[in-house]
Amino acid sequence: MHIKSLAIVLVAMVGTLVQAEINYTREVLPILTARCQPCHQPQALLSQGAKLVATISGSKPAMPKSGAPLTEAQVKMISTWVAEGARAGDPWWSQRPLAKVTPPTAGHPLDSFIAAKLREMKLSSSPQADRRTLIRRLTYDLHGLPPTLEQTEKFLNDKSANAYEQLVDRLLVSPRYGERWARHWLDVVHYGDSHGYDKDKPRPNAWPYRDYVIAALNSDMPYARFVEEQLAGDALRPNDPQAIIATGFLAAGPWDLVGHQELREGTTDKNITRLLDRDDMVAATMSTFISQTVHCARCHNHKFDPIKQSDYYAAQAVFAGVDRADRPLDDDPEIFAKRRELLSQRRKLQIVLQPLLDKLENATTPELDRLDARIKDAKLLAAHIAEPKTADESARKQGLKDRADADTAIRQKLLNEYMGLENMAQTTWLMEQAKKLDKAIATLPKPKQVYAVSNYFARTGAFIPALNPRPIHVLLRGDVNSPGEIADPGAIGVRFSIADPKDEGARRLALARWISSMDNALTWRSIVNRVWHYHFGQGIVDSPSDFGRMGAIPSHPELLDWLAVWFRDDAKGSLKQLHKLIVTSKAYRQTSANRPDGATLDSSNKYLWRMNRTRLDAESLRDSMLAVTGKLDLAMGGPAVRMFAFKDDHSPVYDYAGFDPNSAGANRRSIYRFLVRSAPDPFMDRLDCPDASLLTPKRSTTITAIQALAVLNNPFVLRMSESLADGGGTVKQVFRLTLGRDPGVEELAELEAFTKKHGLANLSRVLLNSNEFLFVD
Amino acid sequence: MNRRQFLWNSGGGLGGLALAELLAAEQGPLHHPAKAKRVVQLFMSGAASQCDLYDYKPLLIAKSGEVWDPGEKVELFQSKPGVVMKSPWSWKQHGQSGKWISSLAPHVASSVDDIAFVHSMIAKSNIHGPATYMQNTGFVLPGFPSMGSWISYALGSANNNLPTLVVLPDVRGYPPNGPANWSAGFLPAAHQATMIRAGTANPIYDLFPPKSAKFITAQSDQDAFAEIAAMNRRHMVGREDDSRLEARIASYEIAARLQLSAPEVLDLAGETEATKKLYGLDNPITEDMGRRCLTARRLLEKGVRFVQVWSGADNGHPRRNWDSHEDLAKDHLEMGTSMDQPVAALIKDLKSRGMLDDTIVYWTTEFGRMPCSQGSLGRDHNPFGFTSWLAGGGVKGGVSYGATDEWSYKAVEKPVYCYDIHATVLHLLGIDHTRLTFRNNGIDRRLTDVHGHVIHELLS
Repeated sequence: MHIKSLAIVLVAMVGTLVQAEINYTREVLPILTARCQPCHQPQALLSQGAKLVATISGSKPAMPKSGAPLTEAQVKMISTWVAEGARAGDPWWSQRPLAKVTPPTAGHPLDSFIAAKLREMKLSSSPQADRRTLIRRLTYDLHGLPPTLEQTEKFLNDKSANAYEQLVDRLLVSPRYGERWARHWLDVVHYGDSHGYDKDKPRPNAWPYRDYVIAALNSDMPYARFVEEQLAGDALRPNDPQAIIATGFLAAGPWDLVGHQELREGTTDKNITRLLDRDDMVAATMSTFISQTVHCARCHNHKFDPIKQSDYYAAQAVFAGVDRADRPLDDDPEIFAKRRELLSQRRKLQIVLQPLLDKLENATTPELDRLDARIKDAKLLAAHIAEPKTADESARKQGLKDRADADTAIRQKLLNEYMGLENMAQTTWLMEQAKKLDKAIATLPKPKQVYAVSNYFARTGAFIPALNPRPIHVLLRGDVNSPGEIADPGAIGVRFSIADPKDEGARRLALARWISSMDNALTWRSIVNRVWHYHFGQGIVDSPSDFGRMGAIPSHPELLDWLAVWFRDDAKGSLKQLHKLIVTSKAYRQTSANRPDGATLDSSNKYLWRMNRTRLDAESLRDSMLAVTGKLDLAMGGPAVRMFAFKDDHSPVYDYAGFDPNSAGANRRSIYRFLVRSAPDPFMDRLDCPDASLLTPKRSTTITAIQALAVLNNPFVLRMSESLADGGGTVKQVFRLTLGRDPGVEELAELEAFTKKHGLANLSRVLLNSNEFLFVD
Repeated sequence: MNRRQFLWNSGGGLGGLALAELLAAEQGPLHHPAKAKRVVQLFMSGAASQCDLYDYKPLLIAKSGEVWDPGEKVELFQSKPGVVMKSPWSWKQHGQSGKWISSLAPHVASSVDDIAFVHSMIAKSNIHGPATYMQNTGFVLPGFPSMGSWISYALGSANNNLPTLVVLPDVRGYPPNGPANWSAGFLPAAHQATMIRAGTANPIYDLFPPKSAKFITAQSDQDAFAEIAAMNRRHMVGREDDSRLEARIASYEIAARLQLSAPEVLDLAGETEATKKLYGLDNPITEDMGRRCLTARRLLEKGVRFVQVWSGADNGHPRRNWDSHEDLAKDHLEMGTSMDQPVAALIKDLKSRGMLDDTIVYWTTEFGRMPCSQGSLGRDHNPFGFTSWLAGGGVKGGVSYGATDEWSYKAVEKPVYCYDIHATVLHLLGIDHTRLTFRNNGIDRRLTDVHGHVIHELLS
């Protein structure tokens, strides 16, 4: 009530009509969320008006049903708000259509917006950084690598007026650009090279998606196409292998192998496994492309954003027809066409066959159950003996095997009786047809494989394809045992009209087009903000994957909308043009030096009165060490490099300490590392390399003693130190190689004394550990 | 938003409060006075059987070998239910509390009056991976911070020479999910666990340069520290406002202290023969677990806030954890014997040093095992009822809380999820579990998700 009384004072003083309306978002929504939300959607209460007030007031109010009644002050707040018209206020900023704005002044449009905001804050921008700083900043930003000495020298001596622009162009043309920015994208989509969970098995065919992202960025694929291909490339252009590889996006996250392969169809835990698997696809899709937290609506309507639980399950229905699996690809278009035709026939056959197989598999009579148990038991006991060590054990193992074989024969006889002759005959006939088709497929040349999504694949254990979209229900409280109404495919506030509901590809394509639409403001705001975030170290919206009410508010809303519209309409979705626009701004080229006025008025540099200093991320640090020692292997693409000793087992062993640093590919860029979900590389982990199971729109930067020890003592760093020394040269030369500048006179004397005592390798170790090496001004 | 998050978010932009995060001096309790200062979590990987250790059911003995009919359809992980299977071990009452414990855990039995057993545990998955995640992080999905990381995030370090959070995996290998079980998830990497492979040649990754780096001598190493500091101080000129640069300088100083204190704390030579014997270091079966339990005590003593000790590796063959599907009598005997004496020794040792009063000992597993056989000599997974226990640190001893049905099949009395145990442990540490939050991907995440009740009956 404080604000209200203040407003009255103001009205009295100024004599104008100042309405101090109750603010819905700030004042009313938190009450509704805390006390009504468990059962009622706040949005729905808006229209209740007086009825709402009556329900919550009085000595024994009808609502809320659980807990204490609302306090007097809360009831008064809500009744005043209702009396004022129960308005929910303007839609949340990200829900509004893109505003058509014009930059406030002439000149570089970004600087125009930024300068206007700084003026408001009584601040100004900082002077331009020197060229040595600029080339280092820009090269790290666009390539994730330091500039070479020659590149720096050339830029320092370039007298042409557009030297900086030329530098930007040169960097954007290099394939190093795609490698650097693909790493950002892979963070956002939680890409990994193993499945995760128990038995964290390698995922040897995930890498084509990683290469797809690199190639898409390097070729500057228009963003709308980039979006569509990752969600539904196979439906969009079924004969284009690259478009199929793109759907590796949907398969990028973790996968519960035990839940999928070992649990029987129809069990609670199997259903949970599938629910959570689709949940991962929904969460990845919605947070990556439209920065919405749709996954918060699995158990109830979204607590803060207008996302209904039914919207969430509509999004699940989009992915109801697919699982994560390897898909075969052929370079030869004819063979590929043939393969697709055969696989399509095979899938159609399986649609008829599968129910019969299910009946067979789930056959249950007391006698069958007894035999099943005996067979299983024999197998378990035999497995337990593993490698027989004595004659007795061998005999026991053989005995168990014989018993299981005999039981299996009896079981088959019983099964024939159980199924009935006609069904059994049909099943046998269909299985023969299936075998023929499988044989025909097998005679085609060996295909490549890509880990993506698929509605047909050969069964592994209990992991079977959907064939047709599985029915998706709205689940009460997110509980698989409390299914509600059927959910049709759709997204937030929309249901797609799909001609053939069994066409699962059409579902994903509809979602892809809804996202990539020119009218979806979220999509265009989301991507320009992501790019901004990586250039400046902070986004215009500082929660890049959450534009909801719990996320951050844009520091420069007009700039964000201008940029989104420009990127969509003028740049036609060209990320390279967007990069160029941003890095050629004055804001980007400022120094990162501190200023007292800035530190006082805007200590977090939200309004960009200076450039932000950044610490190298794990990949850039590792790549830089390889680069300055001249060891960096720039081979691109292909299977992920296993920078550990691998031993397959029930749970494979990924032994980083046992890695042979002289093995092939050991010195390749970090983006080509094999990313193990269960056991991340300890060196990279210490440097804030994110968990590959986690959607990471923003990395944290921490500084710890364990991290210092890693940079000091990790065998990789020490190998790099020795390599630097092996190149020979003077202290000054090694210094220049690592830090890109000449040492000061006293500095040089000090380091020369150190080197005289301990040699160049120890000097290199010191330089590679220095803040100057790790930070970019 | 809690205090830490506030500091984190408002700490001068990208510079953050790097230094404060790094040099966390011991803080007071976060939300209310604390009874405990530190935690040791003992994790039985693979699912330790409640009905062969702590959950005594005469009916299992009476009906052993008969067809099992709990009156409803039973969904097992691997199999169809076999006959009722009594425990291969005998049962006896122990202590003042008269607690029934099986002969598989005679040493733990001698400490029952210090222990609060929770018999009504339920897991949300019957698969090792998700269920192990759940006990560690409160979620069946990967990517969430472990309990220890949350505690580190809430309370910071209690020392400046050792990590806040240490994990001691079984010498035979990692549990299901691997090191992701003790991941900091979305919490800053400052709250990552440090893994110590006790008893191996190189127990902490990168603590010292490897021997293969022949160019490094003791003197060059010492001078390198000095030279790095000198370079970094020069680099600070004109950049004084950036606390991250200062923090990196400090991180090398702490690293140097860690190099001194870690070998000292891991060296068991100074322990008396009686202590070593207490932990079973003289017996090959108990030696590994014993060494790690003793190491845990030494770490806790030196101010490490959270230590996790694993009993058992992955679920492979031959069995190397508690996942006894095939031959329970053989495989649980091995695991039980290796666990029992060292775990009981830890309680006794902490007690004799006056540390049990403010140290929580938390024994858990991902789920339990079925009261029936699975058609073999083993038991299948049972997520519907299992036992965890707590001791010390404000926990009431001699207590049995909740119960399973007459078969030890389903929790029927006062069902408990890991959320409640986590909430209770946090409560004892002075933390309100509903107020310990971190914003990730649109949600203020908690260790206890949207659940959890402090179990007051367990508190002294």
